[in-house]
Amino acid sequence: MKKAIWVIGFMAVLAACSKDDKGTGSIPVETITVKDLAADTIIGITPGAPPTGGMPFGAGKYSFYSLESNQMVASSDSASNKWDIAFRGTSIITNSGNRGPAAGGAFVYIGLFSDLKTIPKDSSFKVENAPTAFAIPSGSNRGWYVYDGLNNLINPIPGRVLVIRTASGKYAKVEILNYYKGGITPAASASDAIKTNTQRYYTFRFSYQSNGSTTF
Amino acid sequence: MLLRIGGVSLGLLFSVNLWSQQSDTLSGTGNEIVVTATKTERKISSVAVPVTIISQQRILQAGSLRLNDILQEQTGLFLTAAFGSGVQMQGLNPDYTLILIDGEPLIGRTGGVLDLKRITVGNIKQIEIVKGPSSSLYGSEAMAGVINIITDKPKSNALKFSLRYGSFNTADLSLNGSIRKNNFTYQGFGNFYKTDGFSIRPNSSERAIAPIERFTQQHNFSYRFNNKTVLSINLRLNNESIKNIISVNNNGTIIQSEGLEKNKDLNTTVQLSHRLNEKITNNTRIYATEFSAEQQLLTSNGTPYTDFFKQRFARAENQTDFTLNKKLSLTTGAGYIIETANSTRYDKSSNTKTNRIGYAFIQSEWKPTDAFTIVAGARYDHNELFAAAFSPKLAFQYKFNPKFSLKASIGRGFKAPDFRQLYLNFTNTAAGSYSVFGTVEAQKIIAELNRIGQISSLESDYYRLSELKPEFATGINIGLSYNPITPLSITANIFSNTIENLIDSRLVAYKTGGAQIFSYLNVKHAFTKGIETDIKYALSKKWSLAGGYQFLLTGDKDEINRINNGQVFTRDANGFSSKLKRSEYVGLANRSKHMANFRVQFEQQNYFANLRLIYRSKWAVSDKDGNGLFNTNDAFADGFIQVNMATGKNFNKGIRVQAGCDNILNYTDVLNLPNLPGRTFYFTLAYTFLNTKTKQ
Repeated sequence: MKKAIWVIGFMAVLAACSKDDKGTGSIPVETITVKDLAADTIIGITPGAPPTGGMPFGAGKYSFYSLESNQMVASSDSASNKWDIAFRGTSIITNSGNRGPAAGGAFVYIGLFSDLKTIPKDSSFKVENAPTAFAIPSGSNRGWYVYDGLNNLINPIPGRVLVIRTASGKYAKVEILNYYKGGITPAASASDAIKTNTQRYYTFRFSYQSNGSTTF
Repeated sequence: MLLRIGGVSLGLLFSVNLWSQQSDTLSGTGNEIVVTATKTERKISSVAVPVTIISQQRILQAGSLRLNDILQEQTGLFLTAAFGSGVQMQGLNPDYTLILIDGEPLIGRTGGVLDLKRITVGNIKQIEIVKGPSSSLYGSEAMAGVINIITDKPKSNALKFSLRYGSFNTADLSLNGSIRKNNFTYQGFGNFYKTDGFSIRPNSSERAIAPIERFTQQHNFSYRFNNKTVLSINLRLNNESIKNIISVNNNGTIIQSEGLEKNKDLNTTVQLSHRLNEKITNNTRIYATEFSAEQQLLTSNGTPYTDFFKQRFARAENQTDFTLNKKLSLTTGAGYIIETANSTRYDKSSNTKTNRIGYAFIQSEWKPTDAFTIVAGARYDHNELFAAAFSPKLAFQYKFNPKFSLKASIGRGFKAPDFRQLYLNFTNTAAGSYSVFGTVEAQKIIAELNRIGQISSLESDYYRLSELKPEFATGINIGLSYNPITPLSITANIFSNTIENLIDSRLVAYKTGGAQIFSYLNVKHAFTKGIETDIKYALSKKWSLAGGYQFLLTGDKDEINRINNGQVFTRDANGFSSKLKRSEYVGLANRSKHMANFRVQFEQQNYFANLRLIYRSKWAVSDKDGNGLFNTNDAFADGFIQVNMATGKNFNKGIRVQAGCDNILNYTDVLNLPNLPGRTFYFTLAYTFLNTKTKQ
């Protein structure tokens, strides 16, 4: 992944490749890569030893993001329609139900990002309809990631696309590419300190369809 | 296994020149006697299934101490490093190879692995390795094959000791003695082993191999009533005590825990062998064994933790061998097994889990001509706790001429679900509070948790939980052996194993709070196939060469179907998802496509020296791209070569000395081979006090 030439920081526009041969009149959809979105990074380790202690923790705050405007949204705006998705550790939420005032939602599409050209008609968007319910299922091997317990690493599952209904009711597709700083997963042999300090930095790419259609 | 009634001469075991006469399978004349393949004594040259014999001489000259040491130098065997040292045969996990001592099964597996380090090689006469499913004779676990350790039972008055000392303060002391008086024979054996252990991880107080002390004793009494009836009693006891220092680095503060692990193995056999007449021999065997393991962990600032496991296995078996005529012989038998287990990892350690098995087997051997042998057999196992198993086998051998022969066999093997897969009730509070429940417990416990609102979701696999079925394998072996000239022998064997109903742990539910619950299901369909070949060439009377090679392909049918259907993904160089190609799939983890060994040996009179190479190509170790299977994008351990050497000399007056160096190239891999130390050295001194041959 070092070979990929990315502009560090948010709003790194990689490619603008969309096929719009259906003649619906929609404007081309860009694919944008966002790098190193800090999502409640580790600030300490609880005292003691497992199972009662020794757990790394962050400040407990979500990082809010607007796919529509391709920028971070202040957490003071968490109760607004300004954001579409938010990240905290491995949890990714949408602006819906118990977590936001908007009518957002999401589901996990199994397949390639580039193969998802139209959201299937029979898709059902899930909403955050309970304090413990997530539109994007939380937990290892359920939503977007799998936890490698042997090496203590989080790996995004390949072939998973998060299909998002934004706060304004439009559609976007998101592929999580990496969970570690710089978009590089530490080596299995790396120290726990490195694995702890470089985690919770999202690299992802997304396409946002501003015309309200379900076609990318 | 069967008592050798006036049969095979064991006298050569204590011949003074131990090095010169014996030979292993390949260099042999084909006259070595093997019992494991047919449960009767047969010349290895007339056995229709793939068999390897490792002789005592070979074990001694390799400087081996524990069973894993010598097995790792054999073609097609790989020693795994999780839960002790297990053996992978024909690419199948250690769970599927039955380990016998004098024909009786060893119990006490952890995670399916029977730790071969529990077995000293100090009193082994020969090791017999039968590859391919052998459940038609042996029942459960004999799915990949059987390893039978034949202990040394010299029929002479003898006393000898052997002392070895080497790196990491590893000391091994063996004492062998035997008395023969009239019709009474006693053989005694004692072995003490200790090591300080080691760690190749820098700056670590934890040891990959912890300090261990082992004491093994074996006693065998036999009494010959007359030429027809012999009674023998065998006792074996192995005690292990392992000290573990576990340190948890917590934010710079290191918390030390001291662990003490005690394992005990007790095996007792009573056997009555009776020859009714020239044609019929009957054997009655009562076998009882117990394995117990206790672990105590004391954290410097925490509460003590105790883990306890005890397994018992008792079996009564009767076997009758009929030699109907020169062309036809028949073996029949039946037995009953009671197996119990207690563990702190089950619902209550005081609750004894029991399984009872009744079984019967029959095997016929037909030699229509001198060149042609057909063996057909089958066994039926009726289990109390799970579905019954029927295991047939058919094998034949054809000798085209004295130089060239062909053997082929097809058989079915099975492995019964073990107590862990049925009854485990374990929650790991140290790692995210995940739980693993055996299938018998799982539905009960999860239904109860659900009732009191502690389950957040039931996964699709929960609804597939049902009575576990035994795991089945169908194995085909086709081999040939070719001896174009006396000093050269070549054997090759093509194998294919198709495994159904493989038991795997699956996520079945989530607790409220996100903790995962796993249980066991018959879900996987795996295969292993390949070819193995051994070549041995004696350059001269002094120099000989031997080489072995195995090519192995493995995989899971369901995974391949998912790949072919475009349902499996990996990542490209940009980190973007891409469809996994069939050619990128590597099959099962921890398997090397290529494994090889090579040995050069020099022998002259009472002196020998050898150099042994073991090669293993890269193998998959962890799923780096998160797609749940192993492909070229994942993490692999590098292939490596281990080189060992040994040299020794026999002096007059019964003194033998030997020195050796293992892993001369000092190859280490901290992450993937924590149990392989760097270069190690040892020195052995052995002395035979007494060796008087007695008359039969």
